[in-house]
Amino acid sequence: MAHPVLDLTGRRNRGEAAFGGLARFAGILVLIVLSLIALVMTTRAWPALTSGNFFTTKRWSVPDEVFGSLAFVFGTIVSATVAICLAVPISIGIALFVTQVSPGWLKKPIVYSVDLLATVPSVVFGFWGISVLAPKIMGFYESVHDLTSGIPGLRSLFGQPNGRSMFTAGIILAIMITPIVSSLSREVISTCPQGDREGALALGATRWEMIRAVVIPHSSGGLVGAVMLGLGRAMGETIAATLVIGSSAQITANLFGAGNSMPAVIASEWGEALGQHRSALTALAVTLFALTIIVNVLATSIVSRSRRRAQGTI
Amino acid sequence: MLLGGHLTSISSLLERTNPTGVILRSYRRYLSMTTALILGVSTVGCGGGDSTDSNSAATTVGGAATTAAKTAELAAATLNGSGATFPKAFYEEAVAAFKAKNKAVTINYGGGGSGKGRTDLASQVVDWAGSDAIVKEADKTSYKGGAFLYFPTVVAPINVVFNAPGVDKLNLSPTLIAKIFQVEITKWNDPAILAENAGAKLPDSPIVVAHRSDGSGTTENFTKFLDSAVGSKGDGTWKLKSGSTVEWASSTQAAEGNGGLSKFVKDTVGSISYVDFSDAKVAGLKAASIKNQAGKYIAPSLEGASAAADGAEIAADLTYFAGWAKGDAAYPIAAQTWILVYKSQTDKAKGKAIKGFLEYMYGDGQKLAKEIDFAPLSPSLLAKAQAQLAMIEIPA
Amino acid sequence: MTSTMTTGNSTIDLGATGGWRSIKSRLMIGLLGTAFVIVMIPLVLVLATVIMRGGKVMSWSFLTSDIAASERRTSGGIGPAIVGTLLTTGIATAIAAPLGVLGAIYLAEYAGTSLLGRVVRFMSSVMTGVPSIVMGLFVYLLFTLRFKQNAFGGALALACLMLPIIIRSTEEMLRLVPTTLREASYGLGTSKARTIISIVLPAALPGVVSGVLLAVARAAGETAPLLFTIGAAKGLNLQPFSGANTALSAQIFGNASSPVEAAQARGWGAALTLVALAFSFTIFARLVSARFSSQR
Repeated sequence: MAHPVLDLTGRRNRGEAAFGGLARFAGILVLIVLSLIALVMTTRAWPALTSGNFFTTKRWSVPDEVFGSLAFVFGTIVSATVAICLAVPISIGIALFVTQVSPGWLKKPIVYSVDLLATVPSVVFGFWGISVLAPKIMGFYESVHDLTSGIPGLRSLFGQPNGRSMFTAGIILAIMITPIVSSLSREVISTCPQGDREGALALGATRWEMIRAVVIPHSSGGLVGAVMLGLGRAMGETIAATLVIGSSAQITANLFGAGNSMPAVIASEWGEALGQHRSALTALAVTLFALTIIVNVLATSIVSRSRRRAQGTI
Repeated sequence: MLLGGHLTSISSLLERTNPTGVILRSYRRYLSMTTALILGVSTVGCGGGDSTDSNSAATTVGGAATTAAKTAELAAATLNGSGATFPKAFYEEAVAAFKAKNKAVTINYGGGGSGKGRTDLASQVVDWAGSDAIVKEADKTSYKGGAFLYFPTVVAPINVVFNAPGVDKLNLSPTLIAKIFQVEITKWNDPAILAENAGAKLPDSPIVVAHRSDGSGTTENFTKFLDSAVGSKGDGTWKLKSGSTVEWASSTQAAEGNGGLSKFVKDTVGSISYVDFSDAKVAGLKAASIKNQAGKYIAPSLEGASAAADGAEIAADLTYFAGWAKGDAAYPIAAQTWILVYKSQTDKAKGKAIKGFLEYMYGDGQKLAKEIDFAPLSPSLLAKAQAQLAMIEIPA
Repeated sequence: MTSTMTTGNSTIDLGATGGWRSIKSRLMIGLLGTAFVIVMIPLVLVLATVIMRGGKVMSWSFLTSDIAASERRTSGGIGPAIVGTLLTTGIATAIAAPLGVLGAIYLAEYAGTSLLGRVVRFMSSVMTGVPSIVMGLFVYLLFTLRFKQNAFGGALALACLMLPIIIRSTEEMLRLVPTTLREASYGLGTSKARTIISIVLPAALPGVVSGVLLAVARAAGETAPLLFTIGAAKGLNLQPFSGANTALSAQIFGNASSPVEAAQARGWGAALTLVALAFSFTIFARLVSARFSSQR
């Protein structure tokens, strides 16, 4: 909230105006940079975006200069979805535990430990993924594959296992987005009014019933926003995905199958791309940019709406 | 002695203070040669008729003249390069050995694949590029620095590596390779594979085909081999033609660089792929013996690669293809590689450094190649390459 | 009469047998607790791998030697990479921190509820979610193509990444400064700019510094923005504007795909160094902000 300037001297101070202008310029810089990114990338991407089949085909052929984005959009969405399915129950579980259940002395250590996860750089997770997780998880994948081989629907979902696959990428992404989703969920859940919670307990509800009946309905909007922010982050993650996703431009129902994601293919092929190929990769970057912005805008507005509702200003 | 020293100090003083260095540089060279001559003549005259003395004096004169030209170590320069991962292990060692002799020159080689090298050279992001494949005619206009030269460096086999438990030896013909890599044969114990490997115990598991994710000269040479042997010119089994990337079946997997691909095969049971001889050896991967034009199954080796390259036809610009060569001992998937540099260099120090590095490549570098598991060039090709060095234009 | 409790859309039957309900409650609470245990497993596994494998190769000479001439050599270290990380992150901080703090000052002190203020605040939130590879491509297209690969290009990409993070965290910190402090300053006749510089900013400083340090820790670990902007140098390069450079994250990424044991070991050593670096920045940031909240 800005404060009225009480300039008792009544003089117009040039330094005053200069500082204010500088601050405004710095603020506008964000808008300038964002618009510049959008502009520069869209102009370079234009030839590929308007080529007619960019959004309709899954074929990506450098020699024939046919560039379709479908396989990569598919891979991005599938790996991000797997990440969300794994991370959301765990993150919200931690958030609920910390805010509703845990004794006071335990809260800070838990929060710090989860934030420790956020401090580890993504490339280290990717390295661990390709060196340790991908080789070792084959055993688990094969058991799941054998278990579900009798069930028609699940059979195609858990097909021929590969260490480097969309599912493995999903696991690594889940580990990376858990701290964000967890801390945002904590913030949202802690806005639940004490009165409502105590009221439920006073009426004889057990702890869990109180959580289910009061806390979750109250925070559901904000939690959706937190989950979407995690989704945005999972879609944009480049390095960890590049190393473990399998680099295969296929669309398959098999979660254990190799795939590719938009940021991963950009990272792999950008160095050598020229002409139409480079334009196509830039078009992928623009698509990714647009997707993550839409998800983030939706998520931010949902979270701030629920925050304002909790504060009573809505 | 005194006279010589006096003369050189006068010339260096003149060179420092006078801006027209060109005149004085040649003046200085003239002076040093004259000095050497005077000294030589005076020593011979004074030393008498001792044959060893006059010999040593003569060599001193010759030695003084040549060391005057050679001990001038290359001036400080940084050369950035990128490109083929096929010869990367060798180039890195060559760069290190070269730097030991020319401390002021720093050479970086970033790898990244032949495609990246060619792209980077075209946009002049790097000073030299490594490429296993030649530039397409249509792409030549995008090279901002104008005309460029191909300098062949080494030859090596491309191994068809595999990771199948219990299988140590494998015989593959080009037809079989084509079918496997086009995912037409999907299991290790397919009858077609068993037909060429009588008595082998092949597992009943799926074959995981892996290829390069980046634009690769190794891919281009491998697919060109398949195209020559069983492609449009052969029985038509191989349909994907050749190029630095081809349209592999979507169920295949990929990895970046020869190193990344060898790691993939090492980690993934049931996988098959193609990597250079040196990287395959270092990763401890088993390689198949390939049937050559003469009908013999040849295991990958440097001798087999040299035998293949010796018979290849070399174009005027020193481009050639060593794959699918004739001859009993020729390994059919031998591959060649070049260093690409612009013909007219714009920076004197860099131009001299590049030329010096290539000279090293054709001298001690060829001996170093064998230690890193790469085969040196044939003597005739080496002579042609050394002659091409004179075509590099360095500003005075 | 059955007693029920209805809140929102859910109805709980409070008359049901207490025993089962309280067992169910205990079970669910226990499940919530296991969520924490589950998330700790990968953390412990990753850190254990980093410490064990990285520790094997760690030594003073490892931290100071040049990058191995060839990945097959058993010698070689990460000296130039450490310098490269510090150089790029340092320059990025020098660019992003002042601009970010100024931008946050605009949002907290000048913008109020104006349309421009709301747009800038919204866009900063949006910008924090932009994938880092997009920043890298952006700087490549605008800067690297013209000025070649060098540390400064990488620093620019990292600065784009850090700017929105610093703006948002600094704005939060500035808002936490009590209004009474500002009003007292105005009451004494101080101008707005002077108030911000001499009163508000120093009061918020520990929190601001802590936010900047967290952004630095994040930027130090990023790989994607540096992939195409800094190149791949093997020797030390202190020049930010000329010549390729390298960074710890780039070294880890490069060594991750190598089949050679020695290269993998060096990658873990670099990972250990990077994790230690990021952790120290984060812990330092926590200490600074703890001092901040204790001051208030």
